[in-house]
Amino acid sequence: MAVVAIEGLGKRYDGDGEPAVKDFSLTIADGEFMVLLGPSGCGKSSVLRMIAGLEPITAGTVSIDGTVVNDVPAKNRDIAMVFQSYALYPHMNVYDNLAFGLRRRGFAREEIDRRVRDAAIKLDLAQFLTRKPHALSGGQRQRVALGRAIVRAPKVLLLDEPLSNLDAALRLNTRNELIKQQAELGTTTIYVTHDQIEAMTMGHRICIMRKGEVVQIGAPLEVYRRPANTFVARFLGAPPMNLIAAQLDLSDAGATVTLESLHLEIDAWPQSTPARAGAVTLGIRPEDIYETPPPELRSRPGALPVRVVAVEPLGAETLVVVRLASSGEELIARVGRESRLVAGGTTSVFLDVGQIHLFHPATTTAISGFTARLMRSDA
Amino acid sequence: MRLGLALGLSYLKRAPLLIVLILYTTVTGGPFLWVTAMSLRTTAEIFDSRYALPTIWHWSKFADAWTKANYGTYFWNSTIVVVSAVALVTLIGAMAAHCLARYHFRGSRLVRFVILSGMILPPQLLILSLFQIMLNYDLYNSLLGLVIVYVATQLAMTVYILEGFFTQIPQDLFDAAQIDGYSQFEIFWRITLPIGLPAIFTAVILNFILLWNEFLYAVVLLTDDDKRTLPLGLMRFMGGHQLDIGMIATGLMISIVPVLLIYAVTSETMIKGMTAGAVR
Repeated sequence: MAVVAIEGLGKRYDGDGEPAVKDFSLTIADGEFMVLLGPSGCGKSSVLRMIAGLEPITAGTVSIDGTVVNDVPAKNRDIAMVFQSYALYPHMNVYDNLAFGLRRRGFAREEIDRRVRDAAIKLDLAQFLTRKPHALSGGQRQRVALGRAIVRAPKVLLLDEPLSNLDAALRLNTRNELIKQQAELGTTTIYVTHDQIEAMTMGHRICIMRKGEVVQIGAPLEVYRRPANTFVARFLGAPPMNLIAAQLDLSDAGATVTLESLHLEIDAWPQSTPARAGAVTLGIRPEDIYETPPPELRSRPGALPVRVVAVEPLGAETLVVVRLASSGEELIARVGRESRLVAGGTTSVFLDVGQIHLFHPATTTAISGFTARLMRSDA
Repeated sequence: MRLGLALGLSYLKRAPLLIVLILYTTVTGGPFLWVTAMSLRTTAEIFDSRYALPTIWHWSKFADAWTKANYGTYFWNSTIVVVSAVALVTLIGAMAAHCLARYHFRGSRLVRFVILSGMILPPQLLILSLFQIMLNYDLYNSLLGLVIVYVATQLAMTVYILEGFFTQIPQDLFDAAQIDGYSQFEIFWRITLPIGLPAIFTAVILNFILLWNEFLYAVVLLTDDDKRTLPLGLMRFMGGHQLDIGMIATGLMISIVPVLLIYAVTSETMIKGMTAGAVR
């Protein structure tokens, strides 16, 4: 177990103008499950490979337990990695795949045997020890790859999109299995994924990346509830947060936001925000838009007249795409499974205005620290 | 009746293919069968009737060739030269192919180009300079010299075959082995070689067949009779005034059998190596 500290990490590949990773800093606590989340090509795998020692570091430092490991070869970093492709040695059986790293490190034959069999039992692989990887299913291969990483009891466990080759049902099982194993082992874990559900369900903390930079770091729900900018707001959550253009007015009396027919009063408007009166981006999650407002809502909901564009019943819930009557902007609402809305009809949806987010229209950063309530509705 | 007609039609459709196959088999297999028959007949019998099958099977001709005509020595010379050359060229070629397939270093493209350009030069172009080099280094008329020449001439093709296969081994396997604690050479030895076995088989067999039948370098670089390889040994029976066709046929059979055996045993693995990557 170990603390991993990354300071000002940078990576530039030969011939590429833009660096793949820029000034990346992050500290991962002992035993923490950290998820690096971001779209394809955001540099998260490059960060992982630099921590592993598989990629030379262009700038900054990586430290494990206080020791800078920039120039330490991968084999001496005491880390283990699970690859997206599993990277099982095809010419070796499961036992040899699990024992390969232990043999190189000079463990006694009995100790190797004990560790391999322990891991095999833990991962339900005991009956497959003599099989070659090609004779295993995807899920079994994935477990062998994980087993190969944990038999060595490494200081740090790195996982590079390990579930992306599994089908949906198996992914759910394996996700739970991974969470359980990590909790039992308590190994400091860094997990790379582009799947926000994996990130939300598995990580103690999430580090969201974009274009080689850290955008936001925090506990899953904290990041979900308080996104730092519109990128995070759109990236976390399925369907993503709705972003609509609204009007911000600032006066001595305070701030107000106008969205179509809704006039919202903003309490505790942060004086330090660089936002000026004018256009502002208003964000609202699909689950905060209602077909009929529930009585338990704390603030008075605001009604918006809309035209229903599409209705997608998912069984447990229904997604409704609606178009605002005046501006023509589209919103997605997550409503109950009993929804009676039909495409083409007109209706009003209700916004839980206490849950709105505001973003600076130019910088896209979030304006935080305020509370909003409905002042009046012209509808 | 109708079934018979359908069968007849299906044969008719396949007739062109069958004709081509029969022709090809006759062209390639015919001479082989002819030599086999001749190897068991005496030269007098052959001159009597060229294409007849053996009436008396002269198995003793093989023993005579082996002992009296010195084929035993030629066979061992060929075996020593070809086995050592193939072993060396496979090992060196595999290392070079591993490096070219795995590492992108400054000048790697130039190195690849220089190595592979060896394939386009005809051997006749090199023979004079090779002869001089061998003389300078006291390697002329020695089996070691021939081994070195064989390794050098076959390296390009070996690297070409192996690199093509090695580049298809996923990089993740090498990264995993690196994290498992293995050095670059150990990774080559424990990952690349075992996984690349089908391609290595292919290279071994192709090199073995080519070198086992190699004549030009051997005839220029070897002079002593007790150092000759099998293809040179056959020359002994082709004098200016006489031609012992029966013994030549027996000698040919002795030199063909090892190649046939190796091909029969490893042909399946070889085809796997040659077609690897063609179908994913």
